[in-house]
Amino acid sequence: MTILRVALDVPLPTLFDYRAEAATRADIGCRVLVPFGKKRLVGVIWDVATKSEVADSRLRSVEKILREVAPLPPEWLALAEFCSGYYHGPLGEVVAAALPPRLRTAKTVPLAPRDYVLTPIGREALAATPSRHRRLRALLEQLARGRASDSELDAQRTGSRNLLRHGIEKGWIVSMEPERSEPRFVHAHELTSEQEQAIGALRSELEKFRVSLLFGVTGSGKTEIYLQLIAEVLARGKQVLILVPEIALTPALEGAFRDRFPGACIVTQTSAMAELERVRGWLLAHGGRADIVLGTRLAVFTPLPRLGLVVVDEEQDASFKQREGVRYSARDLAIARARIVGASVVLCSATPSLESFHRATSGKYELVALTRRAIDRAALPAIRLIDTRVHPSQEGIVPPLLEALAARLARGEQSLVFLNRRGYAPTLACPACGWVKGCRRCSANMVVHLAARRLRCHHCGLAEGIPRACPECGNPDLQVFGRGTQRIELLLGEKFPQARILRVDSDAVRARNGLEDLLERAAHADILVGTQILAKGHHFERLTLAGVLNADSGLFSSDYRAGERTFAQLQQVAGRAGRANLPGEVLIQTRYPEHPLYQSLVRHDYAGFAKSVLAERREAGFPPFVFEAALRAESRDESRARRFLRAAIGRAPQRGGAITVFDPAPMSLARLAGVERAQVLLQSRSRPRLQAFLREWSDSLYRTPAHGVRWHLDVDPIEF
Amino acid sequence: MAPANRVTVAGRLIELDALRYTPAGIPMLKFRLQHDSVQTEAGGERKVSFEMAAVAFEREAKLLAAAKLGSRVKVNGFLAARSRSSRTPLLHATQIEFAEGD
Repeated sequence: MTILRVALDVPLPTLFDYRAEAATRADIGCRVLVPFGKKRLVGVIWDVATKSEVADSRLRSVEKILREVAPLPPEWLALAEFCSGYYHGPLGEVVAAALPPRLRTAKTVPLAPRDYVLTPIGREALAATPSRHRRLRALLEQLARGRASDSELDAQRTGSRNLLRHGIEKGWIVSMEPERSEPRFVHAHELTSEQEQAIGALRSELEKFRVSLLFGVTGSGKTEIYLQLIAEVLARGKQVLILVPEIALTPALEGAFRDRFPGACIVTQTSAMAELERVRGWLLAHGGRADIVLGTRLAVFTPLPRLGLVVVDEEQDASFKQREGVRYSARDLAIARARIVGASVVLCSATPSLESFHRATSGKYELVALTRRAIDRAALPAIRLIDTRVHPSQEGIVPPLLEALAARLARGEQSLVFLNRRGYAPTLACPACGWVKGCRRCSANMVVHLAARRLRCHHCGLAEGIPRACPECGNPDLQVFGRGTQRIELLLGEKFPQARILRVDSDAVRARNGLEDLLERAAHADILVGTQILAKGHHFERLTLAGVLNADSGLFSSDYRAGERTFAQLQQVAGRAGRANLPGEVLIQTRYPEHPLYQSLVRHDYAGFAKSVLAERREAGFPPFVFEAALRAESRDESRARRFLRAAIGRAPQRGGAITVFDPAPMSLARLAGVERAQVLLQSRSRPRLQAFLREWSDSLYRTPAHGVRWHLDVDPIEF
Repeated sequence: MAPANRVTVAGRLIELDALRYTPAGIPMLKFRLQHDSVQTEAGGERKVSFEMAAVAFEREAKLLAAAKLGSRVKVNGFLAARSRSSRTPLLHATQIEFAEGD
């Protein structure tokens, strides 16, 4: 009898045994449909054995081994095992997170892409097809213009599978294996000597496992360097994986890659894609046809049999960390993956995470630094701090910034006012009694959206009308406090009635037809009012001024990473100003111009800032000098969450001083969508010891009675 | 019985802010009255004069928004603290009558 050991998406840290006939070790890595309780689940065959510890009478049989997708290769299984082991999540949950949604079902998978060609009979058929058969004519007409691939037909919306099948049956259309074209590389820019040196450093030992940190100021041409590197790797017949933080950035990036790598098979993988499109790309990668895979954090799991290089762009970005299920860091998994297959990793950033910066400066990673902007004329923007104690703002914007905006308007240049807070105002309160409108489901205030006359919770999405009067004292004269992008947009409209003002935040993206459309309009605006959406990766030719409001909120957070995030964000905003031939200026309004973060920012000295913060972290015992993990408990009942955490601490293995276990504490957002959240934080100077502790502890956690509590472990947590 | 808080005062409108709206969209308007009269005190008559800040909502606010400065009005209302931090009273006008001829 053959026993299959299957990873199933079930919250238990174990594989599940099933009986199978006619299965061999060659099926390891195949998907399999099995009965589970009253359901049927699709899992992945992890092992093939001859006997099981499960009693014969209780063993069930597999329904079907889904062999139409080639088995996942051993190195993919090894990556999933590493992820499960390091982040202490069940293997089945890792596999479920790693596979495209379509492959978690037993539904058919799309066939490998084909090219379609019109036959001479097809041409006659086209001439004979009456125009009322609009869709058939459109398909035949497109093929009459030349051979077309699946994706080209999809793009023209003429690729109806039924019509194609019909055409093939009639002999009008033949399908054939697509031609494999060699990826070429278009050299677009002269390289600076600094860039040449950086490429030289990165190119050596490209075939081995190695992690490099490409650390360069905004505009120093980091992208150009990794494009050249990718060309080199493709020329050696290998595949490249590129991880980027934002879904919104991938279409633009994909376009740029297509321009620079004509002939290359480029595949995108993001969670926003349609199910079939995603799995089609995944299969191209898995089959070894794709040359370049570009995607967000989940793309780290795309199978790539010829992987030679992984690029992680904006490696410090928090979006690389998964926030639910198995809480993996795609950046760190990318490194683990490269280690497994012996590939190179390049982490890119103008403001690297302090973890990566520390590893690069202490010799664990190779540090490749770029200190100058690639275009000679484009100097770094001048950053000025406007002291709000000297220049009090009247309605949220200090007079020097208003003057600077007026000057840009007069010169026909573009400005950006950056405020990382959407809505009209973050607080609705009663001045008579002190009542503040909180979300009834979260420990957070509701945000006033005045245009829609709604209150919204930015944490759980709850929306309601604005009350006519204070529910505590009845006062109708409720007031809003603070400023969001909507309020600043209105204010600027009053100050500059002749200006074209455009707000770019996620509300505006929803209201218009998505970000791309909005960015197209943005190119023609005089003043952009935007949140972080605008800070990343978009280039505006005429933009010469960036004004920053409310930057101080990042200085005094209880999260020790808030400083590096604020610096990264402000530097990104600053990078928007003056990219082309016009010098840029950045005005930051602050009450604390003497703060060391701002002082480093003005000098464009992230390295100096990073070193001083690292010294503080070493002193205080924070990452990267210690390693952290958190056990979190979530429950509708706060006391249950606490009781579970105390019970969990009671079951913690002996730790002999190597591990510090803190007392249970509420999370900084203690209640989210009606669920109370508490956590126990763990620290250790030794990662292996912390891991050994977690392994032992997590086994016992599965046996701790949960009583209406959901719990999870978060290794290397980034939110508290 | 609820503690009494009724005020009736007549005077001229000497300041009228622009009509504005609360976050929920209720019209409101702040204004000031100049009051001049003769009152009896300590067994004799005396002249009385003061200025007073007031606020009105909804219908009253709209009436005031259409009024001219200097108009004579009689205001009925109640007193409430300006805010939690400023405990001086502010007249809340719940009923406004415009004097004939203005």
